[in-house]
Amino acid sequence: MTRSAPHPPCALAELGVVTALGVSIEETWPRLVAGDQSRFVERDDLSPGVVRRFGAVVADLPSVPASLRHLACRNNELALAAYQQIAGGVDAARRRFGDHRVGVVVGTSTSGIASAERAFRERARTGRLSADFDLAQMEHGGLPEFLARLAGARGPHYAIATACSAGAKALVSARALLELDLCDAVIAGGVDSLCQLTAQGFGALQSIARGITNPMSRNRDGLTLGEGAALFLVTRDGDGIQLLGAGESSDAHHMSAPDPAGGGAESCMRAALADAGLAPEAIAYLNLHGTGTPQNDAVESNAVARVFGRGVACSSTKPLVGHALGASGAIEAAFCWMLLARREGESMQIPPHRWDGHTDPELASLELAKPGAQVLASTPAAVMSTSFGFGGSNCTLILGDARS
Amino acid sequence: MMRVSVERWAAWASGVEGDAGWRAWARSPRAPMPADPPDVSFLPALQRRRCDALARSMLYVAHECCPDESVASIPTVFASRHGPIATTVTLLRDLAEQRPISPTRFSHSVHNTPAGLFSIWSANRQPSASVSARRESFVQGYVEALCMLHRSSTGRVLFVTGDEPIPDELAALNDEGAGGYAVALLLSGNDGDEIRLDRRPDERGEPPARGWPDALEFVRWWLSDEPTLAIRRGGIRWTWARGAAPFPS
Repeated sequence: MTRSAPHPPCALAELGVVTALGVSIEETWPRLVAGDQSRFVERDDLSPGVVRRFGAVVADLPSVPASLRHLACRNNELALAAYQQIAGGVDAARRRFGDHRVGVVVGTSTSGIASAERAFRERARTGRLSADFDLAQMEHGGLPEFLARLAGARGPHYAIATACSAGAKALVSARALLELDLCDAVIAGGVDSLCQLTAQGFGALQSIARGITNPMSRNRDGLTLGEGAALFLVTRDGDGIQLLGAGESSDAHHMSAPDPAGGGAESCMRAALADAGLAPEAIAYLNLHGTGTPQNDAVESNAVARVFGRGVACSSTKPLVGHALGASGAIEAAFCWMLLARREGESMQIPPHRWDGHTDPELASLELAKPGAQVLASTPAAVMSTSFGFGGSNCTLILGDARS
Repeated sequence: MMRVSVERWAAWASGVEGDAGWRAWARSPRAPMPADPPDVSFLPALQRRRCDALARSMLYVAHECCPDESVASIPTVFASRHGPIATTVTLLRDLAEQRPISPTRFSHSVHNTPAGLFSIWSANRQPSASVSARRESFVQGYVEALCMLHRSSTGRVLFVTGDEPIPDELAALNDEGAGGYAVALLLSGNDGDEIRLDRRPDERGEPPARGWPDALEFVRWWLSDEPTLAIRRGGIRWTWARGAAPFPS
């Protein structure tokens, strides 16, 4: 499924991240490893009359520059907050390689659809869409255009829009752009924002948890939505945190439900291992997709048990930040990046799996990380993250760090 | 840049039928007119009902382009500027008027709906990417198709691109043609009818609108005897050359 030739180095050289846990790596890291669940906020505006918790970013976000007013929407404000953290590295890459050699590949599922929701509410009241609404705000392609204009990057730039696998798949495409010599550096990741469409859509699918999502529990009752952005600068550098491997597959089963047999989930994990040239035992930590819906967790736990016969320390970080859909694959890669970057020798802190502790006898048993958990990493230190989306779109990433 | 072969192609737009129809269209091209989506009777009835106009047109060209024996084994890239926008606008209207939204409609509003429906119909478990890039959705989607060809071991990729008509509510904001077309290209790394892509800065600005989308302009060129095709977008000139034809400087 994936080419077997070894890949040249692919560095995740810079990272900017914004989630409910914080608007910088420094703010995020201590809350991530502490398993801080205090960041969720209650809202009743996204599904009127229904109070639910959301992994909302409550910090003030930077404003979209006036020259890009047609792209002004919350999704792009989140993108800007993440971009500002890597702007120095991007500028250096532009100076070194030239504007036309810097590309942008970003995943999103919502784009700025919340702006379209406001415009349509205005239309319901007045008969006209609001004057400040532009189609570019709700187009998935508005996000890469915004980042390319912001960065002065004039290489290829496009959105990957494969629902909840998009943020992970954007990194796979970025690596291909480098390997094909179409770019020398790529801004890649994912951005998604809270909106009525997803809150009421998953509500209609009866997939929203009443409290905070409780993945892998026998009491799990759905997902908690979140929002955020994670952007990497991807380069050919041999140093630092690397994208060691990736696997992709399709379920070919159903638009909104995973294949109960889990073949797609399993094959993309196996493809990522083969792509990285690693055995399952080399993976020190697995960041689960772990949405907390009955179906996802059943399929995923069984697929993980089949791939990792000897077990692997794992957790879902969605009980900390919610499910940021098209950004989630990039955000969870960002969490993996942080624990590799903050590792001390062989010892690596990992985020705990926050849940009620009630094992579901129907699920395969997993090594769910307890608070304060540390793992021993071999060389290279390697961690995996899985993402499964609507349309049966699956992606697995393996990140690593060759420093001993 | 990477050299690929166009093994097969297929296109759909209103009023153009079959290979001969497209050859005639290429000699005197015109903008596609709004039309009912194509016949997708190859789909089982239940799957057909789940298809909106965009999915019908994209699955139609994908089916025309893909040999039956390999339809399940080829990675895919689907590129669309607006995706399932009629479904999305129906949901936006329901939200604005505080009506409950349909869960099926919601799950078919994601941008990768045509890709998902194609995968389900063909039992295709290969990697698939769905791309959107505003007015550059064809050219940038082609780049992702090259990326997919590179990272797959199958040596082929099915590249499907198209858009459905923009709903009335948004028509005043639309800065392109009416939509209602789809094109599929079966690209491979094998020997055959080879094309190369070149990408370079070009500050001349965009040429006047030609009335039909970039994907159909590619089809027009493919059916002509012109050695190269240039598309200027956003300060970049994308040039395709066939065989060993040189790129213009």
